[in-house]
Amino acid sequence: MTPPQRKRRRPRPEHVPPPLPSTPPAAEGGGEEGDKKNPERLYVISGADGARAELDLVTLIVARAAAPPSVTPEQAALLRLCLAPLSVAELSAYLDLPFSAMTALITELITAELVQARAPIVRQALPDRSLLEAVMHGLQKL
Amino acid sequence: MVSVQSPPDGRELSLARVLLLPAILMAAVTAAAVVLVAGPARTAVGVCGTVGTLLVLATAAEAVRRGRGLRDARAEHARHRAYLEQRLATSDEEIDRLGQEVFPTALYRLKAGESPKEVVRQVFEVDPRMRHAPESQRRLIRIMLDIVDEEDLQRDSLERSFVSIARRVQAIVHQQAHELREMEEDHGRNPEVFDDLLRIDHGTALIGRLADSVSVLGGGRPGRQWPNPVALYSVLRGAMSRILEYRRIELHSICQVNIKGTSVEPVIHAAAELLDNATRYSPPSTKVHVTAVEVQSGVCIEIEDAGVILNEEARDRLEGLLEKAKQGKDIQVLSENPRVGLSVVGRLCRTYNMDVSLRASAYGGVRAVLIVPSDMMTTDPAPGIAHGIGATGIPKPELGALEGPKRPPKKRRPTSPRIPAGISMEDDVPEVTEWTAGGLPQRRSRMKTPLSRRLAEQAAIDRAEREGNPTIWSQHKEPEPAQPEPERREPGLWVEAFWEGLKKNNPGVHPTDFTRNPTKYLHLINDPAGTEADDEGDLK
Repeated sequence: MTPPQRKRRRPRPEHVPPPLPSTPPAAEGGGEEGDKKNPERLYVISGADGARAELDLVTLIVARAAAPPSVTPEQAALLRLCLAPLSVAELSAYLDLPFSAMTALITELITAELVQARAPIVRQALPDRSLLEAVMHGLQKL
Repeated sequence: MVSVQSPPDGRELSLARVLLLPAILMAAVTAAAVVLVAGPARTAVGVCGTVGTLLVLATAAEAVRRGRGLRDARAEHARHRAYLEQRLATSDEEIDRLGQEVFPTALYRLKAGESPKEVVRQVFEVDPRMRHAPESQRRLIRIMLDIVDEEDLQRDSLERSFVSIARRVQAIVHQQAHELREMEEDHGRNPEVFDDLLRIDHGTALIGRLADSVSVLGGGRPGRQWPNPVALYSVLRGAMSRILEYRRIELHSICQVNIKGTSVEPVIHAAAELLDNATRYSPPSTKVHVTAVEVQSGVCIEIEDAGVILNEEARDRLEGLLEKAKQGKDIQVLSENPRVGLSVVGRLCRTYNMDVSLRASAYGGVRAVLIVPSDMMTTDPAPGIAHGIGATGIPKPELGALEGPKRPPKKRRPTSPRIPAGISMEDDVPEVTEWTAGGLPQRRSRMKTPLSRRLAEQAAIDRAEREGNPTIWSQHKEPEPAQPEPERREPGLWVEAFWEGLKKNNPGVHPTDFTRNPTKYLHLINDPAGTEADDEGDLK
C-alpha cells in the first residue's frame, strides 16, 4: 500500500567533507540512522523558519559565550564545538543536521550574540587584478 | 375463603338439620289436618299433605345435593387458585433469577470468549437448577446471546478495519517521513526548498498523529516501534513535532532520563495529545510550559497552559471522560466530544499503565500531569542528537585544530528573533580610495573624521610644507621626470655585492664553494646520522 520508494540521490562528494577519524558514532550514521533513532523532526530542532543569516558552507563560526541553560541541546553542542572556529560544513557534519537547519540554528545564536560568524573570502571580495598590478608596479618602483 | 378451611361434615349436618325441620313440620301439620278434618276430606287432605311433605323432602334433598356440588366447586376453585398463585410465584422467582444470575453469567461467559452454543450448554446443563428449565427460557437466552455475539463481532470487525486502515496510513506516513528526511538532507543547501520540505514534513507528522489516534481508539498500537532507548527530551520534542503549534511549546527543565524503545511511542503519543489539547484550548499568543521531573513512581511530565479556567464541574467532566476512556466505554460519546485527545490518552494510560490527571494551573488554565511509570524507563544510554553529541563531538586539539581564545564566558539571553542591525558578518575588506604619488594604493582608515577637521589638517600640512619642514603626511611635490634617472640595476645584483662584502675579511673557503665544486662535500651526505637522528629512531 505504500507508494514506490524514492531513489536517493547521493550527494556529490564535494558537498560534505569527509568525517574526521574521531567522529562520534552518532554523527556517522547519516540521515537514515538519525531518522530511525530520533522521534523529533527537523522543524522542531531548527526552530522557526524565516530570516536566515547569509551563511556559507565555509563561514567560520566562533562561540562568544558559554551556553546558557535556555538553548536547545543542539545549540549547546554547537557552542561547545565552536570554542575553536569551525566552518558551517563541519558543524553540519558533526551535529548530523542539514545545512539549512544549521543556518537556522546559527542564525538564532547570532541573534542572541552567542556566536560570531566570520564571512569567508569569496571571489568577489578579492582585490581585482588592476589593484594587484598597481601594487606590483608600485613595489617595483621602490 | 374461610369455607375452604371449615370442616365440610358440620356444614352438611347443619344443612340436613335445617332441611329436616320443615319436612318434619310438614308431616306433623299433615297428620294433624288428617285427624281434624271430616271423613270424606280426610283422604284428600292426607294425599295433599303427603305430596306436600314429599315435595318438601325432595326440595330439601335437592338443596342438600346442590349445596354439596357448590361446595365441591368452591374447593376445586380454591385449589386451582392456590396452584396458580404458586405457579406465579415460581415464575417470578425464575424470572428474577434469570435476570440476576443467569443472564449475567451467560454474558460473562460470552465476553470471556465462549461461543453462544457453549454458553447455553453450560448454563442449562451444568447448573442443576436450570436443568429442567422450560424450552422458552432456553430459546430466550439463546436469542439474546446470538444478538450480543453478533453485535460484538460487528464492533470487532469495525474496529479491526479501522485499525488496519490506520496501519496503512501509518505505513505511508512513516515512509514519507523517512523520505522527507532524506530530501531535507539532499536539498539542505537550498533554504527555500528546505523550508517547503519542512512544511510538508510537519503536515505529514500531523496526519501520522491522526492515524495513530484512530489506531489507538480501535484498540491497536499507537504506531511505530523504536529500536533504541530515547532521551526524554527527544521524546517530548517528538511529541512537539506532531502538533500544529509546536512553536508555542516551551520545554523548561526536562530531567535526563531515557525511555525504553518499546515505550517511546505511547509516551510520545500521549504527550502529543495533551500538548495538542493545551495549545488548542488556550489563546494563540500564550505559551505552553512543559516540565518533567523524576518522582518516586517514574517521571512526572507536567503540561501547563494559560487557557480557560478549569472549574470543578469541568474538571469532573473531563476526569469522567478519562475514566470512561480508561475503561474503553466511551466509543458512544466520541461523536459529540471534541476532545478526542483525552480519550486517546485515557486508552493509552490503560494499556500502558500510565496515569494522567487534570488540575487547575497556576497560569489560569489546565495543568495536565502525565506520570510515566518507572518500568518504562531504562538506564541504557540513548544514542541521539540531543544528548551526547556535545560530549563526544568536539574535535580533539591533537587533530590539528588550534586552541580557541580563552574568553571568559558571558551570560547573554536571546532577545528578539531578528538579527540586530549592529551585527556585521563582513570582514574588513580593504577599500582603495586613494593612490600615493608612487603609484601605491593607499588605504584610509574607516574612522570617520569630519570634513572641517580634515580640511584644517590638510591646511596645516600645506602650511608646514611651505615653511620648509615637511610632515610625515606631506606628499612629494617634485615632479618625477625632474629627478635624475635612477641607476637601472638588475634585481638580483645586490646579492653579489653582499657576497663580495662577506668574502672581503673572511679567509678560508669561499662561501659559495659548495656550489662551485659539489663533489668535495659528498662526505657530509654519506656519513651516518648524528645523535639527533637517534632519538627519532626509537619511534619505530
